[in-house]
Amino acid sequence: MAAPLRTSLRIAETSICRRCAGQPTRRAMSSITQPRKPDIRSRSSGITSPPRHFSSTPSHPYKSVEEAKSRYKSGPFSWQAGILFLFAGVGLTAYFRYEKARMGRARIAEANKGIGRPLVGGPFVLTDHDGKEFTEKDLKGKYSLVYFGFTHCPDICPEELDKMAGMIDLVKAKHGNSLKPVFISCDPARDTPEVIRRYLAEFHPDILGMTGTWEQVKEVCKAYRVYFSTPADVKPGQDYLVDHSIYFYLMDPDGDFVEAIGRNFSVDAAAKVINDHVADWKGKIDKS
Amino acid sequence: MGWLSSDKSAVSAPEASQDGGYIAPDRSARQMCWDGRDSFFQCLERNGIVDSVKEDEKAKKMCSPELKEFEKHCASSWVTYFKKRRVMEYQRDMTIKKLSQEGATGMDMTGNGSMAAPASR
Repeated sequence: MAAPLRTSLRIAETSICRRCAGQPTRRAMSSITQPRKPDIRSRSSGITSPPRHFSSTPSHPYKSVEEAKSRYKSGPFSWQAGILFLFAGVGLTAYFRYEKARMGRARIAEANKGIGRPLVGGPFVLTDHDGKEFTEKDLKGKYSLVYFGFTHCPDICPEELDKMAGMIDLVKAKHGNSLKPVFISCDPARDTPEVIRRYLAEFHPDILGMTGTWEQVKEVCKAYRVYFSTPADVKPGQDYLVDHSIYFYLMDPDGDFVEAIGRNFSVDAAAKVINDHVADWKGKIDKS
Repeated sequence: MGWLSSDKSAVSAPEASQDGGYIAPDRSARQMCWDGRDSFFQCLERNGIVDSVKEDEKAKKMCSPELKEFEKHCASSWVTYFKKRRVMEYQRDMTIKKLSQEGATGMDMTGNGSMAAPASR
């Protein structure tokens, strides 16, 4: 126990001694340099007689004392500088706000793209309200707004479809024909193409209605993570309701899911979300 | 289940489409149904009835003409749905009231936020 303690003490001693040994040399160095300083100063002052302030501007730029005084009072600021400062500040703030919002949207769009299999959306086969086959490939080229519902819906679907019509008009006004609105029925037993066509005509002529077999509708609901509760076997003319999720699904021109718009969004707020995403899109959008 | 058996002449037979589907009520039919619902609910309000499914006897006694109109213009599934929704909305309002009395503050859900809020039905 004693031996290591002693050695450590010795180490401490030596370190102290090293410090002591260093000090006199440093002091000796400074004692050498100090007397030289006045020598240098005297030599330099001997060469340049007028005092210089190491600045390229002449020492007397003003014509009169008054001018110099007034310039001094306002300092380096002038009203031009103030205005420039304000504009630059406002401009930068506006730019950063815009960039922040754009980055936020890009993050949502990117996060929802997912890796590999998309989180929402995917392949499906349905029949549109003109009786033609419609698959996920037909969604590509434009942004699409997908809504799930059923024609015998008491109050929420009609309200939402009226909102959808408002959104369509607002997007159309800003970006032309860059949005394809789609209504997918969750109630294939009652909602045949003819029924859907008649139903949607009351809301907006642009909305394309979809239906299919019970299996096809179940598949598309699964792909879009829509709660699907429609019974497989309903009697003709039976009176029932269908539970379903009520989101608008915004898909980009690649057919990838961008954002879900809930019922809490007003027409204007929802249209703004869509318009902003359309404006952000770098690729081509089919506007036919 | 008295309201199922009462007369519903206006919407008893759903109209079949040519391709085998069933035509849904159009905008004017929906409006008539909603008007019937609103006048029935106003009557329930006057009589202090919240749940017209549970208090069916009382609702029938107090608001018979309104209920008849309501059932005439709406499919029975809609009638049940609206009655239940009224109870649900009442309970929701009560909960909100209770929470705000306890000092809770409302959230902005008007879509200014970027993420959509959950909603169902």
